[in-house]
Amino acid sequence: MLIALAGNPNTGKTTIFNALTGSHQHVGNWPGVTVEKKEGFAEYKGERIRIVDLPGTYSLTAYSLEELIARNFILEEKPDVVIDIIDSTNLERNLYLLTELMELTDKIVVALNMFDEARKKYRIDVEKMRRILGIPVVPTIAIKGQGIKELLREAVEGKFNLKKPEYPRDVEDRIKRIEEMLKDHHLENERWYAIKLLENDGDVVKKLQGIGARDVIHAAEHFRHELEDIYGDDIETLMASFRYSFSHGLFHEVAEPINVGGVTITDMIDHVVAHKIFGIPIFLVVMYLSFNFVFQVAAPFQDAIDLIFNGKDLSNGAHIAGLIDLSYSWMAGFLPDWLSSFINYGMLRGLAAVLTFTPIIMLLFIILSILEDSGYLARVAFLLDRIMRKMGLEGRGVISLMLGLGCNVPAIMSTRALRNERERKLSIALNPLIPCGARIQVFAFLTSLFFAKNQAVVLWSLLLISFAVVGILGYIYSKTIFRGEVEPFVMELPPYRLPTFKGIMIHMWEKSEGFLRKAGTIIIGAAGIIWLLAALPWGVEYGSEASYIGQIAQFLGPAGHLFGLTPEAIIALFFGFFAKEVVIDSFTVLFGSKQALLASMTQLQAYSFLLFLLFYTPCVATLATIYQETRSRKFVFFVVIEGLALAVLFSFLAYNIGLLLGVGG
Amino acid sequence: MKLSELNPGETALVIHVGGNGAVHRRLLSMGILPGTVIRSVRVSPLGDPVIYEIRGSFISLRRNEAEEVEIEKIVPLHLVPPGTVVKVVLIDGGMGFIQNLSKMGISPGKVVEVLRPCCPMLVRTPTGSFPIGKGMAYRIYVR
Repeated sequence: MLIALAGNPNTGKTTIFNALTGSHQHVGNWPGVTVEKKEGFAEYKGERIRIVDLPGTYSLTAYSLEELIARNFILEEKPDVVIDIIDSTNLERNLYLLTELMELTDKIVVALNMFDEARKKYRIDVEKMRRILGIPVVPTIAIKGQGIKELLREAVEGKFNLKKPEYPRDVEDRIKRIEEMLKDHHLENERWYAIKLLENDGDVVKKLQGIGARDVIHAAEHFRHELEDIYGDDIETLMASFRYSFSHGLFHEVAEPINVGGVTITDMIDHVVAHKIFGIPIFLVVMYLSFNFVFQVAAPFQDAIDLIFNGKDLSNGAHIAGLIDLSYSWMAGFLPDWLSSFINYGMLRGLAAVLTFTPIIMLLFIILSILEDSGYLARVAFLLDRIMRKMGLEGRGVISLMLGLGCNVPAIMSTRALRNERERKLSIALNPLIPCGARIQVFAFLTSLFFAKNQAVVLWSLLLISFAVVGILGYIYSKTIFRGEVEPFVMELPPYRLPTFKGIMIHMWEKSEGFLRKAGTIIIGAAGIIWLLAALPWGVEYGSEASYIGQIAQFLGPAGHLFGLTPEAIIALFFGFFAKEVVIDSFTVLFGSKQALLASMTQLQAYSFLLFLLFYTPCVATLATIYQETRSRKFVFFVVIEGLALAVLFSFLAYNIGLLLGVGG
Repeated sequence: MKLSELNPGETALVIHVGGNGAVHRRLLSMGILPGTVIRSVRVSPLGDPVIYEIRGSFISLRRNEAEEVEIEKIVPLHLVPPGTVVKVVLIDGGMGFIQNLSKMGISPGKVVEVLRPCCPMLVRTPTGSFPIGKGMAYRIYVR
């Protein structure tokens, strides 16, 4: 048996999906597109039931990818039952999708979700609704797990006697006549095709052209013009009006408003949070506190993981062995030294790198889920849409850019919230240019050393350069390579809700797990390759000038000279590809002491290096995530080149202008 | 008048929904249709977009989208000051509600005078004077 879950966005559809399927679920993409597809299994009286979560949509037109996916799934996969999840606090609007679903299939179960909240707003007569519609209607409170069993039972055993809503006579007659004409073309769901033809639905017209039903298309066109003349409006407005008058009528039949005109909590919160003057400052404070929280909480975990794997160098020169050292010595007992070194100092160290930034990634996802589930994210989009639009993005784009300051990995994954493919790609292309927590850490370390007197100025200059580049590049990209039609920004602002602990944890784990499993393997592989470059040819000292990395650095030396980069700096940048904070370790290993490091570069060279580090190729984890999200090698390659080009440009300019002016020498 | 010209706090009736392709369709599927009541709620700090209330939900529209919606300003009855004579435009409710009001002489097209402000308010209709509670006044729109 196959059940599909349909519904508007923000109706608790995902919560119901999780409640139905438990841990038996799989997250992937719909074929050929990057829209997320969730699938899972529920069990009812020993029967295994496949459950597919359709994208959240407001209607089923041919104008958006999500809507096409949802309706094509119902048409083609013919689920046995469609569960329409309705936000019962917002009945009238939610019932519109139901009217569209009723044209597609007869077997629908209505879930009246958030029923407890809705009861504060109206008295809902569930029994009457069931009678009018002729299909099962189940009140649910998904976050408390209430009504889920009944929902499943009704889906399997419920009686379906759907009373389809009818259009006015003159519309209905024409639909019937198109239906008649479609009989020869052996389509199932003739009524649906007839309605869509009448509505001039691009996708259906194309499909019928494909099966040679030109006569029907022409007839439908004729009928459409007739109706537009009769009613004096365009067909889309007419059909939407007919459907809405059904949902409006049904709503008033089954729900009686109580407490009209009261001030809601959402109103009160919005009055402060979406305030004309305070709105944006509050957003900045929220972001600042969030990052503070993430880094404070993550730090001890990161230190612990680092200590467990890599051990610790004591100030007296002694070294406490970590797991990697112990495992190396143990394996060296029965494996050749190079193999043990490869496994432990290559791959295992790669794993350790992944694990050390996992706490940050998980915490950032927790923050993101809280912002999203509470409804605040929609307000941020509302506040900043105007600014973001200049960069070719919608308001929500600001969130992924801000998350980038924590870690580019969750930031890039968060671009899934952008519904437009073009905007998603644009924001992925810009994201690595925002310095992540790891890069900021390196900046802090090097500036404290080289620019002890005016550290803050130097740090801020780097951040401002990054923001300016992101803004300008966004503007240029949106006019050139990522040019496209501006999507309508008709965004719903859901009422504020207290996020549930369980909901946040499921959300967070879904994303973190995906990262750990998929990106993790790529990172460990890349770590192995970097180890080989640093350890080969045989017998050289790891990472020394004689190794391949060292040789490459020597070879690039003359080129690096143009930017003020020393061979050691080039080696450090190579290791930084692995994880940006490794740059600090590399310098420590290469120079042995801070004094030696300080002596190796002038202030100008150090600044040029910082600029290079700001923009050059994102780390392996970020690249792996970009590949994961775009499924395009070309795109990953583009991001690498983009970063390198900017790094070269900025450090070249800074170094040479500095030389000319004679500063920082 | 265009929806983009409506000030925060003001209410209007949608007359026509323009725009092409995706914008047109998206406005419609959110329930912005001729004959629906729409209220401007809040303007973004940068002047654009604006949040509107429609059919009980809050939706933000950009200026260029709101420009596509033709409207006519209306006022919910509870905001009408006493002594004013107004014409009923729309009643937002089910059949029962509409019938009850109709018995009191309140239906679209009828002229009523507000005698005492909200709430409960007192109005003179063609059939007589009636007290109107908060729950009712909020759902009667006049011009």
